[in-house]
Amino acid sequence: MTSYSLITLWYERQRYVPGVLAVGFSALLIALQCGLLLGLFSITSIPIDHTQADVWMGAPAVSSVDLGRPIPEGTLARMGALPEIERCEFYLQGFAFWNKPNNGGSELCMVIGSNLSPDSLGKIDKLTPEQCGLLAEEGTVIIDKSDEKKLGVELEKKAEISGYPVRVVSTTRGLPSLAGPYVLCSIATARKCLPVQKDQTTTYVLGRCRNPQDAPKVVKQLNQYKDVLAFTKEEFSLRTRLHWLLRTKAGIALGYAAALGLLVGAVVTSQTLYAATVASLREYAVLRALGIPRWRIAGMVVSESFWIGIIGIALALPATYGLAWAVESCIRVAIVSLPWWLLSSAAAVTLVMALVSGLFALRSLRQIEPAMLLR
Amino acid sequence: MISDSLVMPILQGIHLSRSFGQGETKTTVLYDVSIELFAGQITLLMGPSGSGKSTLLAVLSGLLRPDSGTVMALGHDLWALSDLERERFRLRHCGFIFQGYNLFNALTARQQLEMVVRWGEGASAREARRRAEEMLDLLGLAKKAHLRPSELSGGEKQRVAIGRALIKEPNLCFADEPTSALDWKAGQQVIELLRSAAHDRGAMVLVVAHDARIIEHVDRVIHMEDGRLWQQEESEPVLHTIKQAR
Repeated sequence: MTSYSLITLWYERQRYVPGVLAVGFSALLIALQCGLLLGLFSITSIPIDHTQADVWMGAPAVSSVDLGRPIPEGTLARMGALPEIERCEFYLQGFAFWNKPNNGGSELCMVIGSNLSPDSLGKIDKLTPEQCGLLAEEGTVIIDKSDEKKLGVELEKKAEISGYPVRVVSTTRGLPSLAGPYVLCSIATARKCLPVQKDQTTTYVLGRCRNPQDAPKVVKQLNQYKDVLAFTKEEFSLRTRLHWLLRTKAGIALGYAAALGLLVGAVVTSQTLYAATVASLREYAVLRALGIPRWRIAGMVVSESFWIGIIGIALALPATYGLAWAVESCIRVAIVSLPWWLLSSAAAVTLVMALVSGLFALRSLRQIEPAMLLR
Repeated sequence: MISDSLVMPILQGIHLSRSFGQGETKTTVLYDVSIELFAGQITLLMGPSGSGKSTLLAVLSGLLRPDSGTVMALGHDLWALSDLERERFRLRHCGFIFQGYNLFNALTARQQLEMVVRWGEGASAREARRRAEEMLDLLGLAKKAHLRPSELSGGEKQRVAIGRALIKEPNLCFADEPTSALDWKAGQQVIELLRSAAHDRGAMVLVVAHDARIIEHVDRVIHMEDGRLWQQEESEPVLHTIKQAR
């Protein structure tokens, strides 16, 4: 069945081109849109992706890195007691109000307080050793250059976070933010800026494993305690992005756009197959007259839809990478994230769509009437 | 070759009637037609356009249900069978050749035949290929097995269509105007192949045509007009055998 389908597809390729292109377009649309959204929301997981910890431990039910709640500092000892852990440390993060100088209004910002030593686990990798040295002084912060205007400050200017006076001692580049500008500082400064972060509490305990492969094992052991929740770096990063994707309802927009792409693909593919089947109706009618079961003919149509799906996806894959590269080259920021599972999912959804299109095209087989050959 | 199998009809239509349309537009195409057809015999059903010969072929072959009457084929009451049983009967026993060749454009001559064996009998690819090549050899198309319909002449295409019908080795073979799109030379070849199917393979072959040149190549001629059979002619050997048997 497959061989006849492939032979027919190749020989009558001009007839099937619209279907193949429609499937390819659907796969491309889904993969690229999801990739763009994932990439966009990767901004939210910057604190995880740009630090050195293998394991993150926070409050129970924490759904995103920016929504951590205080946990007792004593939990650090649990992690430190595990033989797989080489080192562990505190890490503070939370939303706070940034009061611009001269009563210029306030802005929501994301305060990140971490250990600033050279081998720190929670220090954002964009901070230079010199900048870490500057942050050692309490009340000093570093912001991204692109957020200066938003926060109403420049270098060496003073502002307040939750009523606590801070001074901008340096700026970074390439640290984009989504909900509120990142404000980097020491743990001591962060504790002053985050009122919910009482003494002897931390937002997260970060750990580094002697062997990074042991991270899942460490997480499993830590999750035996009900008052904390631990993740590997990869798990927490994905959890944070997915949380943002769903919380901002961007998923709904994505769903609509993807459904539209699928619908266009399904209609064109179905019509292509329908027209191709109708064009061969007399040939199929001969087979029916000869007693060939209807399911064999249906199988050929569905098999054709399967191969249209496979070929469409095969064309879409390099096109997706090409367009992603083109977008990133234009804006000079890597914002399209195309992990293997995303591409596999897009391919699977598109293939199912192609098969369903084939099933819809089967309605043409109702027109097969062997007696028509005798009229 | 005329055998004793002529004694009992392999296919029998009894009091067949068929009409199309309803009310004022109703047109009766078959009027109480009865016919007996025998294994090993090639029969020509002749008549002008609209005489009902194709409808009779469709009814006898299990493709079109009659309004009344019975079709007995190989001991089965064909129209008393379920759709699935009739489909299986056609698969096992019937071969069809139509006026249009109705070959798949994308497939080679060999693949057209293989498809029937693979899909009809579930034969392996190797077995289907062997049988298709044998059949094409028999049809004189061994060197054209790899060609697609667009690369074959009309006569060659019709021979492939005959191969598709005969590769199942059917007991009943129905041909509707198999030569009408061909020149006489190609038409003769086609009729000889059908004659061989009857005489060498023992199949019942019913040919519907209006080309009088075919008459001398068949065992029996039945004339049809206005939905009725009105004249049957047997070739001498056939008449002799039937008389002896009765």
